[in-house]
Amino acid sequence: MANGLAGITLRINLTDNKIHRLPTDERLMREWYGGRGIVAKMIYDEVPRDADPLGEQNVLVVSAGILSGCFIPGGSKVEFGSVSPLTNLPGDSNMGGHFGPAIKFAGYDLLMIGGISKKPVYLYIDNDVVEIRDASKYWGMGSLDTESQLKQEVGEDFEVVTIGPAAENGILFSCISHDYGRQAGRTGQGAVMGSKRLKAIVVRGNRSIHVHDLPSLSKHVMGIIDRTKKHPNMIPWQKYGTSFFMKWSNDNGVMPTHNFQTTYYEDIDKVDGEQLVEKCLVNHKACFGCWMNCGKYSKVSIPGKPVVFVEGPEYETGALCGPNLGMKDITHVAYINWMCDNLGMDTMSAGGVIGFAMECFEKGLITESDLEGHSLKWGSLDDIEHFLNMVVNKRGMGAWFALGTKRAAEMIKGGAEKFAMQVKGQEMSGYDGRWAPGMALSYMTADIGAHHNRSWTITTDMAEGRESVEGRAKIIIYLQHIRPLFDVFCICRLFWGELDVTFEEMIEALNDVTGWDVTPEEALKTSERIWNLNRCHFLERNRKNGRDFDYPPARTWEDKIPTGPGKGKGVTYAMIERMLDDYYAGRGWDKQGNPTREILEDLGLGFAVQRLDDIGLLGKPIPGGIPSVRGEKYNPKAF
Amino acid sequence: MLIYLRAGGYLRDLLKPDIDYYSKKIEVSKGLAVREIIDAIGIQSELIAFVSTHGNIKRLDYVPGDGEEITLHPPVSGG
Repeated sequence: MANGLAGITLRINLTDNKIHRLPTDERLMREWYGGRGIVAKMIYDEVPRDADPLGEQNVLVVSAGILSGCFIPGGSKVEFGSVSPLTNLPGDSNMGGHFGPAIKFAGYDLLMIGGISKKPVYLYIDNDVVEIRDASKYWGMGSLDTESQLKQEVGEDFEVVTIGPAAENGILFSCISHDYGRQAGRTGQGAVMGSKRLKAIVVRGNRSIHVHDLPSLSKHVMGIIDRTKKHPNMIPWQKYGTSFFMKWSNDNGVMPTHNFQTTYYEDIDKVDGEQLVEKCLVNHKACFGCWMNCGKYSKVSIPGKPVVFVEGPEYETGALCGPNLGMKDITHVAYINWMCDNLGMDTMSAGGVIGFAMECFEKGLITESDLEGHSLKWGSLDDIEHFLNMVVNKRGMGAWFALGTKRAAEMIKGGAEKFAMQVKGQEMSGYDGRWAPGMALSYMTADIGAHHNRSWTITTDMAEGRESVEGRAKIIIYLQHIRPLFDVFCICRLFWGELDVTFEEMIEALNDVTGWDVTPEEALKTSERIWNLNRCHFLERNRKNGRDFDYPPARTWEDKIPTGPGKGKGVTYAMIERMLDDYYAGRGWDKQGNPTREILEDLGLGFAVQRLDDIGLLGKPIPGGIPSVRGEKYNPKAF
Repeated sequence: MLIYLRAGGYLRDLLKPDIDYYSKKIEVSKGLAVREIIDAIGIQSELIAFVSTHGNIKRLDYVPGDGEEITLHPPVSGG
């Protein structure tokens, strides 16, 4: 078996309860590297273009990643992917924790889960033993509670992923949960798992993973470890996690506040990282193979509420469930975090949906009669708790919000679409892009819908001029190639991207493990290939020009920032059009945002050319040809 | 008085260390806040999320003392 691989791909059909063991396709892994790469390829090949994302033909792909479980710091990640029910695009999401390495140690690289079970089940994997087991008694139980109960049943040494009631009920922004606080949150992968009546996956394994050159790997990794332990950024990460950056976002006018109405929150001092440490923090948590322990475990005690424990809130949850909802108490933000975790909802999309609903209520587009006699006021934990209950059970108008802000806005009407802060159906991350045009373009062009992790450009915007779009597109293209490689290799960007570990060192570790001869140039090109494959898949599913989907909500260009350091600032529609034009040109796509024959053939995606041509969406040839270099490396933020 | 600034990542590139891989020694007037010191040496203070000294987080309005080591921290590029 190839080095770095466990050797077996499991294909599970939940309709007929069949489990097949197949050798992992080494050629495919070499071509697509695993993780996000193999997920994109498998979904492209196996899910029919007219398949219902919540139907039998969608496939949930679970990739443990080539570097996961090896002697690699931060080698903890696992990638989940399928056609997203939230966006109708290829979707993927990853999580840290211990699940990915456990899959590898049990002997598996990939789980391909298709079909729909007749009753709730969980997948049991204990080395060679793979079984589909009855999960009826867990159905309806919270994600966190299910993990706890399952570990009592199968053993504490199993690693467990679960879904909660949100996924069981088809809430489109449901997540997959693990280790009492890690989630594969984005793109509704939990809803896909729930549509298959797959409540959980439990894994235990004790096999070794063979690597190509252990002495070289050890030497390189020990060098990285020695260096990063002394890195200036290590201590704040360990002590405070990511929530400490909330104040910086606020001071610099990018904090989403009251559903992105403004970008500065007057009460930030009540909900920021310092408050988390002072009022909630009880312990630190780390993932497999990492000593950053950036996870912050909190105890939440609120009079009248049960005492709960939650990992978080980290930056995104803190921002989108804090200032975005007008919260004035960190313990309330942590409680919202816990509610979302146990219900099994992506806290980012949940924060976006709740904020959107709050603004609808503020504007009178929805009233107390739509909310079972309850209000939905900024800052009210009780209102939020009731609203989430309506959503997770799809009661009344809760069923609309269960579909995400885009579809809810289409049903509510009255101008609500303007402030449904999403792109392609996925809610934005915890940064407002009106005074950071590169960030706006990042949201517009992320392949899974609005998401910051493909490219994050706030400091680039600051360094280059926050009211200019010059050169942004090229930088974003570069970031969209290099950052997703962490998800391809299933290693943690917070370790590898924030502690001065170079891209070249990452490739060196890959080659030490696999024995491949990957170069940085090849890795970037592979990442570009994955990006373009997802674009082709998206066009084939949605049958419209790509440009039709790449615009942000109208608030982005219609509403100048009303308060705070960014008062009066904002992007214009002309800036948005210019950024899209620059982006498409930089990618070798035509003006409608469709990949051209030339770029697809250059990337080894010739098989996609005819498919796009058949539906009239092959990009028209670009005068002068495609750019020879796509993307431009930039400091201050190379990652 | 002398203070020592320390940084990794792109902030290190902007800082141009002269003592060791991460650190730079600079002469400053007493009473200046970190933000003013950083601006004076040509680094955009917006690129710094917070600073730390003796392992404790401080904001950019912190006024360092003589001989103090201040570590500059960039924001996480997506949390």
